[in-house]
Amino acid sequence: MTTTLQPPAPPATKSVPGRIRDRASRAGDRVALREKDFGIWQDITWGQYWDTIVTVGHGLLALGVKVGDRVAIQSENRPEWLITDMATVAVRAVTMGLYPTNPVAEVRYLLENSDSTILLAEDQEQVDKALAVVDQLPRLEKIIYIEPRGVRRRYTDPRLLYWDDFLDLGRQHRSAADGAVERCMAEATPDDIVALIYTSGTTGPPKGAMLSAANVEFAIRTLVEEGGFTDPPPTDTDVTLSYLPLSHVAERIFTTWFNASAGQLVHFAESIETVPQNLKEVQPTIFFGVPRIWEKIHATVEIRVASATRLKRWNYRFWMRVASRIGEKMVANGGRHTASTRLLSAIGNVFLFRALKDRIGLRKCRYAASGAAPIAPEVLKWFMGIGVPMHEVYGMTENTAVATANRPGSIKLGTVGEPYPTIELRIDDDTGEILTRHPGVFPGYWQNDEATRKTIDADGWLHTGDVGEWVDGTHVKITDRLKDIIITAGGKNISPSEIENSLKTSPFVKEAIVIGDRRPYLVALIGIELDTVGDWATRRRIPFTTYRDLSNKPEVVKLVQGVVEDTNTKFASVETIKKFRMLPKELDHEDGELTATQKVKRAAMAEMFGDLVEEMYRSRS
Amino acid sequence: MTGGRTAGSARRGRPELYTSYEADSALLNTRPKRVAVLLIVALAVIVPFLLTDNVLLILATAFVASIGAIGLNLVTGYAGQVSLGHAFFLGLGAFTGAVLSGDPDGRTVGLGMQLLVWLPAAGLVAAAAGLLVAPFAVRLRGLYLAIVTLGLVFLGEHLFREMQFITGGVGVGRPGPVPELFGFRFDQAGEVLGVMLTRNQKMYYLMFVLLLIMAVAGRNIARSAIGRAFAAVRDRDIAAEVIGVPLTKYKALAFTISSFYAGIAGALLYTVIGVIEPGSFNLLMSVQYIAMVLIGGVATISGSIMGAVFITLLPRITREVPKFLPFISGGATGGGILNVFQLEAILYGLLIIGFLIFEPRGLYGIWIRTRNYWKGWPFSY
Repeated sequence: MTTTLQPPAPPATKSVPGRIRDRASRAGDRVALREKDFGIWQDITWGQYWDTIVTVGHGLLALGVKVGDRVAIQSENRPEWLITDMATVAVRAVTMGLYPTNPVAEVRYLLENSDSTILLAEDQEQVDKALAVVDQLPRLEKIIYIEPRGVRRRYTDPRLLYWDDFLDLGRQHRSAADGAVERCMAEATPDDIVALIYTSGTTGPPKGAMLSAANVEFAIRTLVEEGGFTDPPPTDTDVTLSYLPLSHVAERIFTTWFNASAGQLVHFAESIETVPQNLKEVQPTIFFGVPRIWEKIHATVEIRVASATRLKRWNYRFWMRVASRIGEKMVANGGRHTASTRLLSAIGNVFLFRALKDRIGLRKCRYAASGAAPIAPEVLKWFMGIGVPMHEVYGMTENTAVATANRPGSIKLGTVGEPYPTIELRIDDDTGEILTRHPGVFPGYWQNDEATRKTIDADGWLHTGDVGEWVDGTHVKITDRLKDIIITAGGKNISPSEIENSLKTSPFVKEAIVIGDRRPYLVALIGIELDTVGDWATRRRIPFTTYRDLSNKPEVVKLVQGVVEDTNTKFASVETIKKFRMLPKELDHEDGELTATQKVKRAAMAEMFGDLVEEMYRSRS
Repeated sequence: MTGGRTAGSARRGRPELYTSYEADSALLNTRPKRVAVLLIVALAVIVPFLLTDNVLLILATAFVASIGAIGLNLVTGYAGQVSLGHAFFLGLGAFTGAVLSGDPDGRTVGLGMQLLVWLPAAGLVAAAAGLLVAPFAVRLRGLYLAIVTLGLVFLGEHLFREMQFITGGVGVGRPGPVPELFGFRFDQAGEVLGVMLTRNQKMYYLMFVLLLIMAVAGRNIARSAIGRAFAAVRDRDIAAEVIGVPLTKYKALAFTISSFYAGIAGALLYTVIGVIEPGSFNLLMSVQYIAMVLIGGVATISGSIMGAVFITLLPRITREVPKFLPFISGGATGGGILNVFQLEAILYGLLIIGFLIFEPRGLYGIWIRTRNYWKGWPFSY
């Protein structure tokens, strides 16, 4: 008698669309997403979400999208972004996200570089950008637009397709070839590229980092399911607000992947301007922000308190002193409460903290994170003091954002946290560069083998380009980007971002760029925060007209002088800023001074404001 | 796409997150509001067992006055049509109610009908009169309208004095409407659901329930399309007409609705008091109601109630004054510099002047300011 040994069934490969399908069949009438429309948050259930994904998937097939084709999306965060992304992955194509702020030149570069065949453009603004360069993009076949206003029945380009018509196309294809999308999903392999995420490109043209299905699965397992960020891991009782660009890996994690794998309820902010209002309505339990967002919330609170009544100001100042003590004690205790801070927080909650958190929309926040750029520890401490559980995390597109995180309960301020237990992370002895190796490391840059070779070495280590050091053997502290380290004429290595962030702790400073590579001393270019400084000037009855006018008021220069002097006391004398100049304009993505993620392009700055810098080194004052 | 379910704690504690228009436009859209209203209603229900009968009578009167004040606020506060003729409509309601419910064998005309008939009828007769007056309002505004409505009061006073078969004549009067509902008498002590209630306790409850109904109706009129049209007419009638608000229709509607409220209030007022004196529907009564609106808060329903309660309780308070200030006499003939009735009239005047200067939004404004102070915490807005 022989027994035939059945070969073990291959482990069911999970995928992000597969997770959504499972949720739709398990709890199809539960709410997955909410979008605000005419003042009301409209529910989209898992059933509706999955059904639309399948229809859009069929639509893509009907348009001739084949395995590995690129589908580009240029839109603000909205359900259609996620639906198209998931449908693209379901039919084994690659999603490429553009920032809604990308100007025409960048749109052309990104679409051309990625060879995208389909573009989902949100509205007339984005359609116009694409149409301006469409003739130079022979591969681009269809431009699907969501908002018909100004486009439908006005524009005649045959490549334009209205979203509703696209859905009809999908439905027709679905009735003719039902199950085609599901078959595609079944054929998917872990090596499929699912996302093409362009780096912000502070130094050169953006490079497209490819992420495979296996990368994404590893990131979901580490960050979401094993609770790499939150403790306990996210569930379907968690609520988030989606507002940062989905073309960035961080928002993709917190919106798309958290939602698909943990089922947490995503609310789409109406626009970046309405984020404070939407935050207050939604009161998310998990909230991720880039440093600029946290600095802005902090600055807004300061302005609004400044215009409050005397008693309220006094109350705020008193309890913020308590908060800073709570913050310090918690920092010393790894982010955990002690008996005394718990008591102080409980009393402070009644007088200030709870109301304050309610106003800024973080009252229910059980996990707040800052990442994507360095942040000043003072800002983190401020939030910890009022009872927002703040965590600095670190990762980059190239390792699917899996590197280190401050875990709840073992926070070290000023560090980016501990490496996850399932990954390898080391710091290069010579250069101090941080290297990571794990299944989340990306397969390479899109059509750029040279850059890939420079980034991933023969042993599979990813060179992050960040310089770091160990703190107490467990936590990693990042000094700066390798390329940004300043070596002064005296031969001292200085990290500009630490000084810059310290300057930006002041609510009056929006941008600070420290310069001094191969120079005798450090100087800085400083851009003021128009809202706060404007408010400050108004209260002091200093008349002003424009940003430039306000920047150059002697009183404002003096105000900034004070901020600079404050910062100088925190650093060694070689790291002090000897001179500074005010930036004559607000830095802007459109003008090429910032990247889409609002990071300063140092090279562009040196070019545009070179005369200001030279003048500082020449002049005697 | 609405109506999905959410998991437990994702639903609670987000008062500003509306997922339907029903929730967004609900009258009590936040939990503090629901709790506060529930507490106020609960308090109002137990009050009759805590206070003496004569205080209850004043409160019942205050509730009825509130209905009248809401009516005046709808036409004057919301729609901006100054009306000094409110006393006339109150009188119409009172006599309609009295005639319909009165003893058929009595000295004056009576038809012996029950509350369910005479109460709406009182409102409708007054409303019809309001509709008749409305054409003047369409053509006039401001001071001129005030003068016309003032004329109405004198016209009414004359009619009430002369039509003795209905009104009973000056100095005599006639019994007020009888609050009888399917044989149940609100104006006689008796057992209700096993609890022994006095006349005043029953009256209190009846007036409280009616006020509740009229106030909710008033609030809904004010915040619906009609109320918005009223506000548009008030803020600038020409602009309102330009944006498509039919002036004639809404001015007429304002007077009609307001008069309906006044008719109801008039009938109920004399149910509580018991006897109608035809001479009491004079200018002073109109001024009293205007004082309620101004002191309570222009263009607010809860302000109307606050003002009405305040003005109705005022005599009760001034009556205590002679105990502390000996130069004010307690009666009309008691010597001293002033008597309490003069003091009362002076206080009306002072209060109106004081509120107009220092708190134009009235008692309601004081409440709103206090509320916003804490609502804005820890900021100022």
